[in-house]
Amino acid sequence: MTTESSGDLATGEPAGASVPLVQLLTPDGERVEHPDYEFDGTDEDIRGFYRDLVLTRRVDAEGVALQRQGELGIWASLLGQEAAQVGSGRAMRPQDYAFPTYREHGVAMCRGVDPVRLLGLFRGADQGSWDAEKHNFHLYTIVIGAQTLHATGYAMGIQRDGAVGDDDGAAVIAYFGDGATSQGDVNEAFIWASVMNAPVVFFCQNNQWAISVPLERQTRIPIYQRAAGFGFPGVRVDGNDVLASYAVTKAALDNARTGSGPTLIEAYTYRMGAHTTTDDPTRYRVAAELDEWKAKDPVSRVRTYLERNDGAADEAFFAAVEVEADELATRIRRETQEMPSPEPTSFFDHVYVEDTPRLTRDREAYAAYLESFDADAAAVGGH
Amino acid sequence: MAPTTLGKALNMGLRKAMEDDPKVLIMGEDVGKLGGVFRITDGLQKDFGEDRVIDTPLAESGIIGTAIGLALRGYRPVCEIQFDGFVWPGYDQIVAQLAKMHYRSQGRLRLPVVVRIPFGGGIGAVEHHSESPEAYFAHTPGLRVVACSNPVDSYFMIQQAIATDDPVIFFEPKRRYYEKGELDTSITPEPMFQARTVRPGTDLTLVAYGPMVKVALEAASAAEAEGRSLEVIDLRSLSPLDSDTVVASVRRTGRAVIVHEASTTLGIGAELAARVTEECFYSLESPVLRVGGFDTPYPPAKVEEEWLPDLDRVLDAVDRSFGF
Amino acid sequence: MPTYREFKLPDVGEGLVEAEIVTWKVKRGDSVKVNDIVVEIETAKSLVELPTPYAGVVADLLAAEGETIAVGTPFFVVDVDPAGAAQPSSPAATGTSVSDASLAEVEVPTGDEPIEPGLIGGPAPGGRTSVLVGYGPRESSGKRRSRKTAQAAVQVAMSTQPAPVPAPPVDELPSALPTSPPEPDSNAHVTVLAKPPVRKLAKDLGVDLSTVRPSGDGGVITRTDVEAAAASGDAAGVDEGTSSPRPAAATWSREPGERENRIPVKGVRKMTAQAMVGSAFTAPHVTEFLTVDITRTVKLVERLKSHRDFADVRISPLLVLARAMIIAIRRTPEINSTWDESAQEIVQKHYVNLGIAAATPRGLVVPNIKDADRMTLRELADALGELVATARSGKTQPAEMQHGTVTITNVGVFGVDTGTPIINPGESAIFAFGAIREQPWVVRGRVRPRLVTTLALSFDHRVVDGAQGSQFLADVGAILSDPALALALS
Repeated sequence: MTTESSGDLATGEPAGASVPLVQLLTPDGERVEHPDYEFDGTDEDIRGFYRDLVLTRRVDAEGVALQRQGELGIWASLLGQEAAQVGSGRAMRPQDYAFPTYREHGVAMCRGVDPVRLLGLFRGADQGSWDAEKHNFHLYTIVIGAQTLHATGYAMGIQRDGAVGDDDGAAVIAYFGDGATSQGDVNEAFIWASVMNAPVVFFCQNNQWAISVPLERQTRIPIYQRAAGFGFPGVRVDGNDVLASYAVTKAALDNARTGSGPTLIEAYTYRMGAHTTTDDPTRYRVAAELDEWKAKDPVSRVRTYLERNDGAADEAFFAAVEVEADELATRIRRETQEMPSPEPTSFFDHVYVEDTPRLTRDREAYAAYLESFDADAAAVGGH
Repeated sequence: MAPTTLGKALNMGLRKAMEDDPKVLIMGEDVGKLGGVFRITDGLQKDFGEDRVIDTPLAESGIIGTAIGLALRGYRPVCEIQFDGFVWPGYDQIVAQLAKMHYRSQGRLRLPVVVRIPFGGGIGAVEHHSESPEAYFAHTPGLRVVACSNPVDSYFMIQQAIATDDPVIFFEPKRRYYEKGELDTSITPEPMFQARTVRPGTDLTLVAYGPMVKVALEAASAAEAEGRSLEVIDLRSLSPLDSDTVVASVRRTGRAVIVHEASTTLGIGAELAARVTEECFYSLESPVLRVGGFDTPYPPAKVEEEWLPDLDRVLDAVDRSFGF
Repeated sequence: MPTYREFKLPDVGEGLVEAEIVTWKVKRGDSVKVNDIVVEIETAKSLVELPTPYAGVVADLLAAEGETIAVGTPFFVVDVDPAGAAQPSSPAATGTSVSDASLAEVEVPTGDEPIEPGLIGGPAPGGRTSVLVGYGPRESSGKRRSRKTAQAAVQVAMSTQPAPVPAPPVDELPSALPTSPPEPDSNAHVTVLAKPPVRKLAKDLGVDLSTVRPSGDGGVITRTDVEAAAASGDAAGVDEGTSSPRPAAATWSREPGERENRIPVKGVRKMTAQAMVGSAFTAPHVTEFLTVDITRTVKLVERLKSHRDFADVRISPLLVLARAMIIAIRRTPEINSTWDESAQEIVQKHYVNLGIAAATPRGLVVPNIKDADRMTLRELADALGELVATARSGKTQPAEMQHGTVTITNVGVFGVDTGTPIINPGESAIFAFGAIREQPWVVRGRVRPRLVTTLALSFDHRVVDGAQGSQFLADVGAILSDPALALALS
């Protein structure tokens, strides 16, 4: 059965109101069925999801706190979007490749990226230090929507490798938000993916806001319906339902890898926090909206389900998850605080695969320049 | 060895690159079945197939963006932007992504993408088909930018660009596509990122690239009849800019004039002039002069010949240099 | 209606993580103005008083005295619009302000309230201002960082000039290129190194740069080099014997209409004038005079003329004076020093490059004899003769006019008694040698005709004190009066 999305949101009309979305776990923690999608995992899998959700939320909270303390320049919080990310992230196979924006910390963790690496980017120590090819998780792209074209091109490369067509095929998942759907690049990616029949899943986390601009300024119709205009299927899923997010993404990825081409998934969710830590959402949205979405919390519904179902999980399990979350938080806090800043001369590195003669000269001249100062003179950076 | 047009030389170079490496792809609007609006990719789709020579949707940002994705997957895409004036939709992907991804990833990710752009005027075209946008790219760290001027360089430099692991913006002088030159494909080519002295001289250094090299050589011949020996340098590489070759020359001649079609203000000539002035200060008999397009948008075809730098404007600048 | 604003615990700097509420200074219902102190908190480092960013009526204190709260926790609520009366509901999720009922509109800030720390435009850690996308801007110190040494700074500034890459060999041009290169004659063209202003100077002075010897680093021709080249023209030198020098360039016009002549100031005249001004108005000049009986020197000169060691060389009292000066310099080395203004040092030279001022029709030149102090009298005589001959034929080279340490100006050649000469720039003393004439002199109590001359020494009083100048002058005078004293004094 489908669930109506709430229609009394200040921005619900018409892009959100009364639109069927795929749901397999209600906000109250009840399993429900859907004609087209099912979650065929076990309670053990769901316990795994719960752990992922808690750890994701904890890492995210740590990011916010660290920023408040001046350890990070900013943090882009994913609070409220954990289920969309964990569900879709866990649906990926090892050979699949993800192209995130800059908020997919949950997906990163599903792909085995150490969250400290994410913090390094927001700290300004680097611009993305994990090995993208090792994790099949691309670096964060800050230009809105640009990565959807990279994902589509990557998918075209998979086709040329002959790695599309059967169950072992590879697929690509491109993450982006509701605001990004207005960008030319995203629309071009839809065109290319459809005419090339590329094995790419477009996963849009519609969290209702692009900084302060509401959904209705990005589209007049529900986002998932845009796909029809480009000639491929679109589906809206409850982005706060980890089981549905998982099931829908898995189906879409399987379609892609077997040669059926792209799918647009609209994960209907909400950005509970600010755009980034210095943003003040009270300037553009009402508290009541938050309350509505608080009632649909992605983590608590899983906990409720596990608690309610005898044998699904016990106190020891929940306690262990909390301990693990605490330890993870402590570790990433400490490693972030101890993270060294790059050497100034390093900013001459890797401009090209091979240095130009001028770069070499500039680096040497700059090193000499730095050497000319007293050791105890205050550095310019001062970070 | 037969006289070969510049366009044909590019075609031959692309073919050779595709034969040598199965990961090389060609992609752009009309490059496949049509062989490109200038026939530069003529015959390649027939021989290498639609998977390797791709007629793309009409979307420049999409061309560059998907090329980046293909490169991440291990391919070596050669993009064609149909005309210089249409590169702008793809400019964001070029400067924000293509130029930076190697740096962003601290050297882990490589994007061996070539973006071929026919550039310059002199073909009597309507608007937007005669631009010289090279400075916008040479100003972007992380990109390599080159411009061929003759069939020999075209044949070899396109292959070198494809073989480079850095992204290369490859400018082709479209007004010279049909001009012929001797092409010996068996010689060992020079390094790509270096300028070449194409005519030695003693009295003044004349620097050009792309379509203006021919104008510079013609000017030097005319100057010889007037008793002046001009040394002509083909820059070939705009980023990195081989100012060392120019500096060595100016230290001998003491005078320099730089020519390009692009508007003079903030063009490649401005950067080269600044470097030459700094490094040849004690050798300069006169200030470094530039001959470029006027600081206006490119004009209608009927008056473009007056707008473009030509032999007279170049020699006037040479005269002016000697007047100091 | 009431409008509530929450105050969250800010990071008051230095990575504050949490703080303890020590004392509330206000209670519910109190009126507060912006920046009134409302609470005292204790951080790891100190007691801090926090001012309210909001004005209005205190609506709620969310933490108790003694409680420790984390940075970012709301702990204080103000009703900024106390016209209404509704109670605040419990705070919602992080990041929202408390408002009553879902009917409330989003309040538009009026823009004149101070911005909370951590929000865009508000204060950020480290003295920065918050922005959406990073740490935020901070003020610069406005001061230079201290360097290890002054040299280090200069070295950095001059460092890593690229070495010129030789142009690729011309003969390797691919034959396909449309060129017809003529053979370059690389030897025909002489490259000179000079910066543009120097080139212009050379042009103005009519100097061919390719004939100028460079003295700058790296073979660069300097302004001084050009000026010196301009000064050494092809003109007659000084005959410091009896014949008078050629007349000066200026002529008196007897034409009725010609009242004035205007001569452009350039070339040697310009250079000389600049040097004179530079010297006269920088160095405090003192001139001292000593009249001596030089008869014995003149007699010595006669004897030397027939000495076989000096048979074929020109001898004159000037030679003896030169030697006397060298001896006296050794006793008063300050005379042979120079004032280095930029380094704030006096440079004492342990060599004597003895300059001889020479008048040429092009103007004044002052070539010097290098290391005159290491020469025998014969060698000195040779050097002096050569110097005069070169100057007379206008072939004095720039290098010969540089690095002098002391100068003699022979005004006696004009029949002039003495003068107050201006010191050659870069030196600290100049000696004027006047005419020698028969004059009455007291010799052992009787008035006798003797050969007498007046010696004048101008010296730079920054470097040479009166006592030293006098001593030097006295020594020279003593030797000229009684050349045999040279044995004792050297």
